[in-house]
Amino acid sequence: MASLRGLSRPARSLPLSQLSRQTYTAASIRCASSQADAGALNDLEDSTLTAPQLGPDEKKEFRPWKRAADRKHALPSGRYQYHPPKFNRGPLHPVQSPPSSDPIARDFVPGPFNLPRLKQTYHSTIASDLMTLAYTHVPPGTPKKEAPERLRSWDGSSPYHKNRGLRGPRGNPVLPLIERDITFTNVPAITEITIASYVPEAIKDPDHLLVARSVLLALTGTTPEITKTKANVVQWGIKTGERAGVKTTVYGNAAYEFLDRCVHLVFPRIKDWQGIRATTGDSSGNLSFGFTPDEVKLFPEVEVNYWMYPAKMLPGCRVFIKTSATSDRQARLLLQSFGVPFYGPVRN
Amino acid sequence: MGKLPSTLLRRPSLAGSCLPTAPSSFSHAPLPSHQPPQCLSSQVRHATFVPRSRRPYQFTQLVQLSDGSTFTMRTTSPLALYKSDKDSRNHVLWQPTNKSLRNVEVDEAGKLAAFRERYGTSWDLDTPAAAKPEEAKQGAAAAAAAAPSGKDGEKEVKAEKGESKKPEAKAAAPAPAEAAAPEDPFDSLVDLISAYATDSKSMQGGLSAKDQAKKDKSGKKK
Repeated sequence: MASLRGLSRPARSLPLSQLSRQTYTAASIRCASSQADAGALNDLEDSTLTAPQLGPDEKKEFRPWKRAADRKHALPSGRYQYHPPKFNRGPLHPVQSPPSSDPIARDFVPGPFNLPRLKQTYHSTIASDLMTLAYTHVPPGTPKKEAPERLRSWDGSSPYHKNRGLRGPRGNPVLPLIERDITFTNVPAITEITIASYVPEAIKDPDHLLVARSVLLALTGTTPEITKTKANVVQWGIKTGERAGVKTTVYGNAAYEFLDRCVHLVFPRIKDWQGIRATTGDSSGNLSFGFTPDEVKLFPEVEVNYWMYPAKMLPGCRVFIKTSATSDRQARLLLQSFGVPFYGPVRN
Repeated sequence: MGKLPSTLLRRPSLAGSCLPTAPSSFSHAPLPSHQPPQCLSSQVRHATFVPRSRRPYQFTQLVQLSDGSTFTMRTTSPLALYKSDKDSRNHVLWQPTNKSLRNVEVDEAGKLAAFRERYGTSWDLDTPAAAKPEEAKQGAAAAAAAAPSGKDGEKEVKAEKGESKKPEAKAAAPAPAEAAAPEDPFDSLVDLISAYATDSKSMQGGLSAKDQAKKDKSGKKK
């Protein structure tokens, strides 16, 4: 290769077969580079400029196409292609995965590609509004209210009561959350949204699962996972551990966009829709509502290729909005400021 | 790929599970540069699989609401522009002050007025419940007095274009009842906030399951 570089430019552009025939023309052309002062090039080691020109026999010998044809095995790829390791083997291992922010990493997720409208509104308007609206003035110097002890203590009637842990409340093994005040460090926000679809028909006909999966995938843009039945109910024909549902969870920007789509595009298109029942909630700040199959097909993503889904197999779904609020009324306040209407009596 | 760890000693447990033929791998024999992935098909303590995330393609879609405002949205729908005809910008529930979105009763021929004069307002669905029994009596009396002629009581209904919910029922309602009927969402918001500062059970840690059940029961009785 290096010897070919010594040829003049017009000779190099010729096809090799031609080159081997007309060797003398290449040698006879005068070039500024080949006529260069040899003393100036002494500093360069092994320069092709100072190399002697090829003789006609050498040029005949130079047949790279022949070598390529004679080669039995393919050459290895010229480029070094880096692939990140499939396994993380701990922080002390010499082979480390690149961070997930690196585009070549296996767990790299590109984005964000836009700032969701609802998120922008939340940060610019809603958060500060909620904080101001829920402000309760406490005069400085007011002693802090002590949270009441909700766990029951032992009466000490037995010597074995010493150093025992406190007992849980009566009746309910789970302690409900204590509501935290909305302050500048604690403004409720949307943490995640889970969309679940229970399809008991899938026990008989697993195609239902496929449809439900593709619908949830269209709605959220994430790959749903399949859920299994928890209970044995003979009358409903379900057994524990049968695949009968799909669910998926979206976080962050995707969650805001999903809620935005629900509130501004889907809810107004539902016939005779009053709002979400105000009794919803698990009394710790997570609200939920549902869509019937007829309402699911109002989503723009489902509507755009509605013909793709078998109409009778289209599932309904339930939507669980998890907020960072610690009580239902705070969560309701947040969702109302997002534009979700509620109706009916309020429970918590 | 994977050439760097070849100088390492292989872990005995891994070697035993992967290559049962060569358990004494502590020699300097050249190790295979690339471990087949089926060796670690099950999760092991010292190697965590890094999955490639499976995401469907998402498009950036321009959404145009019915009032002309636009915004972009990441979605699986391949439409470049989504124009919505019905959304929160032209729905009464979100725009309670917009009169044009209400169901307005158009009674140019006076037929509805004639019907009410004859049979009373008891046929209106949206009349307040307190006013109903008296009117029902009146209406019944009026109906008994008048000879029942079927075609007279025809309702002529002209619902607004955008509004599709229960056109007949709503259009038959008198105007003041109509104005009072849709609940103003701002009112409920104000109620929520004003109720915020009061003492509530959730500030003391919420109700127990028993108390909650009691409360629900008492609410139902009322």
